[in-house]
Amino acid sequence: MVEATEPQYNEYAIEEFLVRSEPYYRPVGDEMELFTAAYEQHIPVLLKGPTGCGKTRFVEYMAWKLGRPLTVAKDSTAQPLNEGEVRVPLVTIACHEDLTASDLVGRYLLDANGTRWIDGPMTRAVKTGAILYLDEVVEARKDTTVLIHPLTDHRRILPIEKTGSIVEADDRFLLCISYNPHYQSALKDLKHSTRQRFISVEFDYPPADVEAEIVQNESGCTSDQAEALAKLGEKVRNLREHGLQEGASTRLLIYAGRLMSQGIKPRRACQVAIVWTLTDEAELQRSVEEVVTSIFE
Amino acid sequence: MTSNSNNDIESSLSQFPPAVLEAFQEASEAMDSAFTEEEFNLWAKEGVSIAGQTVRSWESAVEYYKVGSHVARALAFPSFMQWARCGTYLAQDSPALAVAFFKASPLIVGNLRPQYIPRWAGLGRSLYKGTWKSSTLSAKFFEVSPDLIRSLPFWDVEVFASLIESLSYKSYDVSMECLVLGRDVLPAMGREREAFLSMCRALTDSNWREVKTCLELAPRALQQIDEGQTGRFLKLGERLAKTGLRETAKFLADGTSTLAQIPQTSQTHILDLAEGLLATSPDAVAPFLKSLDIVLNRITMNQLDTWYQHGVEMLKENPDSGIAFFKIESTTSESMLETLSSSLELERVKGVVKLYCSALSGSTIDVLDTQELVNKNIGWVDEDTASTDGTKVFLPPIVDHYPRKDENFAWFKVVATHQVGHLEFGSFNFSFEKPAACFEEQRRSELELNQSERQAALLREMGDDAPDISDQAHAYTDIGRFLNLFEDRKLAFDLFTVLEDCRLDYRIKMEYPGIRTASERVQIEARSGRPEIQQLPLQQALVELLIQMSLEQFTDLMVPTEYKDESVMLSQILHTLRDVRANVEDTTEAALRAYEIIHRIENKEEEEDQWQPEDLDDPGDFSEEQYESMLDKLNAGQQDGEDGEGGEGNPYESPEPVDYRGDFKPEMVQLLTKLQSDKGESGEGEALSQEQLEQMLEDSAELELDAEQGDISNSTSMFAQNIMKEAGVPPPDSESGEGYGPLLHDDDQGGELEAREPKAYLYDEWDFRADDYKPRWCIVKEKVLDEGESVFYNESIKNFSSLLNHVKRQFELIMPETFRKTYRLVDGEDIDLNAAIEAWADVRMNVPPDEKIYWRRNKIERDVSVVFLLDMSASTAEAIDEGRNTVDDRDAPDDPVEYMVWLRRRREGLVRRHYKRIIDLEKESTTLLIQALESIGDTYGIYGFSGYGRENVEFYVIKDIEESFNEKIKRRIDKITPLHATRMGSAVRHAITKLENQPSTRKILFLISDGRPQDRGYSREGVEKEYAVHDTHMALQEAKRKDITPFCLTVDKSGHDYLKQMCGDMSYEVLDDIWALPERLPMLYRKLTM
Ligand SMILES: Nc1ncnc2c1ncn2[C@@H]1O[C@H](COP(=O)(O)OP(=O)(O)OP(=O)(O)O)[C@@H](O)[C@H]1O
Ligand SMILES: [Mg+2]
Repeated sequence: MVEATEPQYNEYAIEEFLVRSEPYYRPVGDEMELFTAAYEQHIPVLLKGPTGCGKTRFVEYMAWKLGRPLTVAKDSTAQPLNEGEVRVPLVTIACHEDLTASDLVGRYLLDANGTRWIDGPMTRAVKTGAILYLDEVVEARKDTTVLIHPLTDHRRILPIEKTGSIVEADDRFLLCISYNPHYQSALKDLKHSTRQRFISVEFDYPPADVEAEIVQNESGCTSDQAEALAKLGEKVRNLREHGLQEGASTRLLIYAGRLMSQGIKPRRACQVAIVWTLTDEAELQRSVEEVVTSIFE
Repeated sequence: MTSNSNNDIESSLSQFPPAVLEAFQEASEAMDSAFTEEEFNLWAKEGVSIAGQTVRSWESAVEYYKVGSHVARALAFPSFMQWARCGTYLAQDSPALAVAFFKASPLIVGNLRPQYIPRWAGLGRSLYKGTWKSSTLSAKFFEVSPDLIRSLPFWDVEVFASLIESLSYKSYDVSMECLVLGRDVLPAMGREREAFLSMCRALTDSNWREVKTCLELAPRALQQIDEGQTGRFLKLGERLAKTGLRETAKFLADGTSTLAQIPQTSQTHILDLAEGLLATSPDAVAPFLKSLDIVLNRITMNQLDTWYQHGVEMLKENPDSGIAFFKIESTTSESMLETLSSSLELERVKGVVKLYCSALSGSTIDVLDTQELVNKNIGWVDEDTASTDGTKVFLPPIVDHYPRKDENFAWFKVVATHQVGHLEFGSFNFSFEKPAACFEEQRRSELELNQSERQAALLREMGDDAPDISDQAHAYTDIGRFLNLFEDRKLAFDLFTVLEDCRLDYRIKMEYPGIRTASERVQIEARSGRPEIQQLPLQQALVELLIQMSLEQFTDLMVPTEYKDESVMLSQILHTLRDVRANVEDTTEAALRAYEIIHRIENKEEEEDQWQPEDLDDPGDFSEEQYESMLDKLNAGQQDGEDGEGGEGNPYESPEPVDYRGDFKPEMVQLLTKLQSDKGESGEGEALSQEQLEQMLEDSAELELDAEQGDISNSTSMFAQNIMKEAGVPPPDSESGEGYGPLLHDDDQGGELEAREPKAYLYDEWDFRADDYKPRWCIVKEKVLDEGESVFYNESIKNFSSLLNHVKRQFELIMPETFRKTYRLVDGEDIDLNAAIEAWADVRMNVPPDEKIYWRRNKIERDVSVVFLLDMSASTAEAIDEGRNTVDDRDAPDDPVEYMVWLRRRREGLVRRHYKRIIDLEKESTTLLIQALESIGDTYGIYGFSGYGRENVEFYVIKDIEESFNEKIKRRIDKITPLHATRMGSAVRHAITKLENQPSTRKILFLISDGRPQDRGYSREGVEKEYAVHDTHMALQEAKRKDITPFCLTVDKSGHDYLKQMCGDMSYEVLDDIWALPERLPMLYRKLTM
C-alpha cells in the first residue's frame, strides 16, 4: 500500500541557509583552532586535500560552530535565532570550467519593465557575512580571480563592475576555498598571487583508527567492519603510486559501510563501493579485489 | 648463297615426305638473312641428317626447320649448332623426343644459358628407357620444361627431373602425374622448394606413393606456416620419410595446420621439440604435432616442455606407451595435462601480486622469480622457496600444489602475504634499543651488559696481552648485535626465525581474516610433513615443538617427561607472541628466553617411554619469576651433569624448514639496507670494508657456505662483492662509472669547476643531503647539433600526414578565437544589439525573452615562448614493442587508386615500426610539433641533452629559440640520436637561462624524457637516485620561481614513482603508450598554453 505523501523538501534563500544542527565532525589535527583563529582574524582559508576526506564536512561544521559564540547576537533580521546564535550562513559553490565572474557576482535580468539587477551568490555572501566556500577553485575560469583578489586582501571589498559599485564585506564574511593537488588535470595551477592570500590547511585521509571511528559513526556498521574498512582504505591508498589515480576516499569507505549495515555481504559491498568505483583497469581492479578478499571473509 | 648447294639440299630432302622440304623452304628465307652462307649450309645439312636418322625422324626434321629461326635469334651460331645436334641425337633414339625437344625450344632458349642446353636435353633423354611409355614421359618433360625453366633455377629442374626418373621406375602413371603437378606447384614455392624436393626424393625410396599427395598438399599446407620455418619443417619431413614413416603426407597436412595455430615466435621451439623427438622415436613425431593443437589449448608453451619431457622419458622406457602418451591416449598424459593446466605460473599473475604486495606493505615491492635471487649469488640458494630482500618479494616460478587454479593462486597469496608480512609488521626493523611491547623485562640489554662486564673482567686479568676486541664486539646490524649475544648463534637464529614466523602468522590471521582458510590449509599441509618430535634429540625436539605450535598444532604434542615444565614454559613464551601488539623486539625477547632454556638442556636422544602427550593450547601466562627459577634449576642440573660424565649430547642441527614461510634472512636484509644508506654518508668511517663484511658473512647463521662452492674463503669474498654490488657500493677494486662513457675524473670528489671554453656554462647543483647547492658544480656545453639529411623530416611528415592535418586544425582553432566575438551570451563585454532588440520585442509581446543578449571577445592574446628539452640518453635507443598499429583509418581515401597508395604507405610504416626506438618517436613528435608551432607562431626552441659526468653536460641546439625555422633544422633533427647519460638538472637550468631572456608573458619548459635522470654519480641507485631526483625537482622549482611553467612528459612506464617526487606539485604526464607520443605531444602543448 502506497500512500501519496506530500513532497518533503526545504528551500532556502542561500544567505539564509544555516547549519542548524550539529554536523558530525571528528577533528583530526588542529584544523579547528586554525580555522577559528583565521575566522576571527579575517584570514581567508585554503583547504588542500584529496577528494572525500572531509573538507566540506569540516566547513559545514565550522559554520555551525562559529554560529554559537558566547557574545550576544546583534542581528535583527526576521529569522528567529536560538539564544546565543548568530548568523553564519554557509554558501557553497562548486566551481567548474564555465563558471564566470558574473555567475558569482550577479547580472542584469530582463523583465517586463526593462532590466533588473540580481545579486550573485558571492555578492550575497559578502553582504550577509557568510562563509563562502568555493569548492575546487582551480576549475573556475581565470576571471574569477579578479573578484577573489580584492576580497581577500586587507580591502575586503567586492567590486561590481556592471553596476559600477563596490560592496564592503560584512565583518563576519570569510572566504574559504578548496583545492585538490592530486588532480592530474592540474595543468592548471593556482597562481601564486592568489595562493598567497590564504592560509593553507592540509587535509588528508585520517589515520586508520580515527577513520574507523568516522566510518562507524557515519555508516552504522559494526566496529570490526569499520576497522577493516579503514585498513582497506589505508592499503588501497598505497596503490596511488602504482597507477591508481585516487585512493579510496573516506566517503567511499562510508558507502561500503552503509551497504554492510544494510546487510550486504562485506566483500560485495567493497566490490561495488570501492573496487569498481576506483578504477576500470583490469589488473588494478584485481589487485584491489585481492586486498579486499584478504581483509574480509 | 649459291643455288648450287641449295639445290643439293633440296634434292636430298625430296627423298623424304614433302612436308620436310616445305618446311625447309619456308624457313630458308628467314634463315638466309640471319646466317652467312656457310652457316646456312650447316643449318640446312643438319636437317638432312636429322631426317635421315630413323624411319620417322623426318617428323623431327620438320619441327627442326620450323623453329630454327626463333632459336637462331637467341643463340650465337656455335650454340645454335650445339642445340641442333642435341636434337639430332634425340632423333636417333626417338623421333618423338626430338619433336618435343624442338617444340619446346623457342620458349626455352631465351631463359636458359646456352651451355645448359645439352644438359637440359640430357634430362629429357634420361627419362627415356626405350619403351613407348618412357618416351611419352620424356616428351611430356620437354613439354612442361618451358614453365619449369622460366621460374626455377636450373639446379632445381635437374633435381625434379631426377625425382621423376626415380618415380618412373615405380610407376609411369604416377611419375607422369607428378610431372604435371610439379609444373603447377613448384614455381610458386620459395626458398623451401629445395627442401621440399629433397623430402620427396627421400619419399621415393620409402613411400613413393606419397609423393603425389605431397605435391598436391604442399601449396596449401606450406602457406600456413612461417616462411622461415618451412625449410626446417620439410627437413623434418625428409628425415621422417627416411626412417620409413608411412604417412608423410598426413604429417605434412597435420603438422602445418598445427604449426599454423602457434605464434610464429614459438614455431621454432616446437620444431626443436619435434626434432628432439625424432632422435628418440620417429613414430612419435606425427602424433606429437597432431596433439599439439589440443595440448596448447590447455597449457602454456612453458608447461608444454614439462609435458613433452615426460613423454620422452616414457618413450625411452616403453615406445608404445610413449606414443600413446603423445597421442594423449594415456591416463598419464591426460592427468599430467590436468595438473599442468591447473598450475599457475608466477609470470601470469606477477602484476597483480606485485600490486597486492605494494598495497599491503605501503612501499613499492617488486615481485620476482626466486631464480633471479639465486642468480645474484648473495647468499640465497634455494630456488623453490619464497623470500624477500626487503624491497622485493621472491616467489617460486610455478605453483602446482592443488588441482585448481584458484587454489594455486590462493597459495601464492598466502606465501606472498607472509613475505610482505615481514615488511608490513617490521621483521627487518628490529632495533636493539627499542623496547618490546609484551615482555616486561628487556633482557637483551641486560645480557649484553653482563657479557661486556665479563669480557672487561677477562681483559683486566689478561693485562697487556689483551687482544683488541672492541672492534669485534661491535656488530654492523642490530640483528647481528642481538645474535652476537649467543654462544650458539645457529640455535639462536633458528629460534628467532620460528618465533618471528609464529608472530607473523598470527598477526596475519588477525589482520587478514579473508585468507584465513587458505593459510590454515597451507599450515595443515606443512604440519603433515613435520618430523616426529620424539625421534629427535632433546634440543632439536624442543625447537620442533615450537615449530609445530607455530603451525597452530597445540594438542597432543609429545613432550619429554623430564622437561615437561620447560615445554610448558616454551609454549607460554610462544603464546606471548600471539598478540597483535607483539613486535619484532618481543620476538627477540622470546627467542632469548627460549634459547636460555633450550641451551641448558643436553642435546641427547631420549627413550620412547620418556615422552608423553600434552595439550599446550592454554598453558597460562608467562611469568618472569618462574622463568628465573627454572633457569636456576637448569643451571643446577647442568652443574651436576658436568660433574658426572657430561657433554655427550649431539651437536645441534637446524630443523627442516617450513616451506611456505620461505627463506628468512633478517641479518642479510638489514645488512643490504644499511650498506645502501651508509653509502650516502661518505667519509664517516662507518662504512664496512670488504674484510669486515666477509667476517660477518662467515659468522652469520643465515648462510650455508658449505663445501659445494669450493674454497670457502673464496666464495665468501665473492658473496661479499656481490652483496656490495647489490647494495650499490662500488667494490674497492672495480672501475667506477663503467658503461657511462669516458671517464674524466671521479665524480663526487673534486670541487668547483671552471668553464674555460666558449659556450660552456656553469651551474650549481642541489644537494638534498646538505640541503644546499653545490656551487659551480656542472658544466653545460652547448653545441649546435650536426646536420644530417632532411629525408627523415620529410618522410615523417608524409607518414603522419593525416595526424598532422588533424593537429594543425586543432592548433588553428586557437588563433581565430583571439579576434572572434562570441554572440548571445548571458553575460559579456557589451550588449549584443540584435539579441537585445529581439528580446525587447519579446517583452513587448509578453513572451518570455531570451536572456542571452551579450557578446564577448576573447581578449587573451597568445604570447608564448617555449623550450622543448629532449632526452638523448643512451636508454632512448631501447626498441619499442613491435607491431602496434597507430595510424588510424580516419582518412582512408575513397578513391581506389589513392587507397592502394595509402595502404601501401601504411604498411611500410608498420614494417619500419618494427625497429623503432624511443628516440625515433621523439624525433617524429618533434617534427609534428614544429609543423604545429609554425602554424600558430609561438616562439620556440628545441634542444637535446645528454652527457657524461658533471663536467660534460651536453646541450644540443636543434632549433635555437631565436632562430627561425629553416632547412638546417630539418637536417639537424635527423641527427638526434641516443648518446650517453642524463644529467637532467643542469640541462633544465640551461633551458631556463634560454627562456629567461624571452619577453613573453607565458613561458613554458617542456621536458620529454624516457626515464629517470641518470648520470655517473647521479642517480643509478640508492641515494644517488634520490640525489638526482631532488636536484631535478629543484631545477624545475627554479623554473617556476622565474615564472616559467615546467611540464614533464615521460614515456617511462614506471615513471610514476619518481616523477611524482621530481615534479612535486608541478604538472606532468606519464605516457603509458609510447606510440601515442606523436599525437599526444602537440595536444598537451596546446592544452597547456590555452
Ligand atoms: N573528520 C571527519 N569527521 C566526520 N566525517 C568525516 C570526516 N572526514 C570525512 N568524513 C566523512 O566523509 C565524507 C566525505 O567528506 P566531504 O564531503 O567533506 O569530502 P571533501 O573533502 O569535501 O571531498 P571533495 O573534495 O570530493 O568535495 C563526509 O560526508 C563525511 O561523512
Ligand atoms: Mg567537498
